[in-house]
Amino acid sequence: MLSPLQLEEFEQIDFLRDRHVRFFQRTLQVLPERYASLETTRLTVMFFAVSGLDVLDALDVIDRNNMIEWIYSLQVLPTEDQSNLSRCGFRGSSHIGIPYSVKGPGVLHPYDSGHVAMTYTGLTSLLILGDDLSRVNKQACLAGLKALQLEDGSFCAVPEGSENDIRFIYCAACICYMLDDWSGMDIQKAIEYIRGSMSYDNGFGQGAGLESHGGWTFCAIASLCLMGRLEEALSQRELDRIRRWCIMRQQSGFHGRPNKPVDTCYSFWVGATLELLDVFQYTNYEKNRNYILSTQDRLVGGFAKWPDSHPDPLHAYLGLCGLSLIGEPNLRKVHPALNITQRAFQHLQQLQQTWRDNAGTCT
Amino acid sequence: MFYRDRKEWADLEPVPQDDGPNPVVKIAYSEKFSDVYDYFRALLKKDERSDRAFALTAEAIELNAANYTVWHYRRVLLQALQKDLREEMRYITDIIEEQPKNYQVWHHRRMVVEWLNDPSEELEFIADILSQDAKNYHAWQHRQWVIQEYKLWDNELEFVEKLLEEDVRNNSVWNQRHFVISHTTGYSSPAILDREVQYCLNQIRKAPHNESAWNYLKGILQDRGMSSHPGLLEQVLELKETHCSPYLLAFLVDCYEDALENNNQKETLNRALEVCEYLAQEKDTIRKEYWLFLQRSLESRFGPSFDPTVNYCAVYY
Repeated sequence: MLSPLQLEEFEQIDFLRDRHVRFFQRTLQVLPERYASLETTRLTVMFFAVSGLDVLDALDVIDRNNMIEWIYSLQVLPTEDQSNLSRCGFRGSSHIGIPYSVKGPGVLHPYDSGHVAMTYTGLTSLLILGDDLSRVNKQACLAGLKALQLEDGSFCAVPEGSENDIRFIYCAACICYMLDDWSGMDIQKAIEYIRGSMSYDNGFGQGAGLESHGGWTFCAIASLCLMGRLEEALSQRELDRIRRWCIMRQQSGFHGRPNKPVDTCYSFWVGATLELLDVFQYTNYEKNRNYILSTQDRLVGGFAKWPDSHPDPLHAYLGLCGLSLIGEPNLRKVHPALNITQRAFQHLQQLQQTWRDNAGTCT
Repeated sequence: MFYRDRKEWADLEPVPQDDGPNPVVKIAYSEKFSDVYDYFRALLKKDERSDRAFALTAEAIELNAANYTVWHYRRVLLQALQKDLREEMRYITDIIEEQPKNYQVWHHRRMVVEWLNDPSEELEFIADILSQDAKNYHAWQHRQWVIQEYKLWDNELEFVEKLLEEDVRNNSVWNQRHFVISHTTGYSSPAILDREVQYCLNQIRKAPHNESAWNYLKGILQDRGMSSHPGLLEQVLELKETHCSPYLLAFLVDCYEDALENNNQKETLNRALEVCEYLAQEKDTIRKEYWLFLQRSLESRFGPSFDPTVNYCAVYY
């Protein structure tokens, strides 16, 4: 029989599943005004919550169909005359003021266009919720995507112009992978940009010359894996060097750059990269787990970047994914490149098989 | 006063957000916030080009500086209304000082600098931001862009050295060092390479447990022959006695590996395997499994090959 003190200690390192489920449920409902800076990226926040619930095997607590409708209302569809094809994709939210609609034709508006990260998280969220993507205008999405790639191989986020870097290459690779159609990007140029982003220390920066960083290294390696070009783009020697850079990021949990503090989200960014490179098995699972759990918020659920800090949807989701990578019981396995559960990934594979079969029978 | 109550705005119909019957991740805005953005949406729909629109964008930015549509619309207005770009530089300077980790504000600054074709304030401005957070990725990115675009290389190495004196463990600064040198003198001349190697070793003597310095050293030598740089191995072995670290030992393994690739000697392999063992069991135990994996990998690549089809006993008959 455990004493009250022993029981309390056991709880300290316990994974509080139900709290996290409720954390994601609340995220999907209403956030206070201090979260205003998330307005244009609400769809990515939805992805964190929905995928988080999937990892927790708790999707049954939400109304999937209603959520699917909301996602489709964010699709930027072609107008009657199709003059806006290069601006198609998904919006992050309703912030522009387009009236709610889940079907086309698109509404002509001088400033309405998709955002590459929203197209990516829109598609993944639909898949996770069990949708068959039949209402996605794939050709329009791919046209919108193509318009975002620059001469140097990187992507902008929106057709109006934005910063361009490796993050959006990753979003583009995910979109092409899910739609099973790489006509939306010039793979060769993207590979050149990725290679050009490799630093002297063998990690990857956001672009050429920039400091290597766990998040951008994930974008680089995961993109190459999704393209099926990892071993074509990087030599064995380079891959070994990248493995070394990544594995040196473990301090207890992981940090994103040498001499920086550890942060829960890197347990996924770096952990997933190591998994894609077949060496995650050589990391220290116990120390990683202990760090992630030390950032768990025992009251409101979720995870924060550091202990005794406020949790947020991104760290809550990536903390879970970090635990999933080390095989935490009762968590679904996560596909390390696409960053969705293996269950959602299998759903995607089945869908793609159906598309191929249908394409074969078209006359 | 709300925009909806101002008579100069009475001609405009506010446009609310419309999330439909089942909004997800809805943000609960105050009346004031909604009022500003309802009018922003109205202006956007008409694509109005006016001073009142320009003024409103500043209010919208104050409420949410991460809204990239507001910034884009503001840029459209800056050009359409031929606004004073010097004043815009002052404006964006203040905003970045308040919110230095926001992507949109740095992108906006870059656009204004490009329009003015005037980078003259940039290095000082970025230095100020870095004085508050010496590892701000956006700041370093903007700095590299300015330097490369406008060829402002001249004083950057000096800037790097100053920052390394302040914090020799700042990885962003080591990265900047590599950026500057690779784009100016390069590393091919033996004089430069040797200068950099010695610089590294000196910094390591002052602060031995510094991954950044060791990464830089390995980085500049890894494709130029780590094991062939004269006297380096000896210097590192000396440092091992007094200034040891997991990074020094990892560097040693890499030196031995480089040597083995050029000349596979049993003695070199044994040394490499020993260092891996030392790392795994004592000096870098968090990566124990990795060092053992590396050990097996070196053994397999450079060790005596065991051919199972040969009957070794038969050799003696």
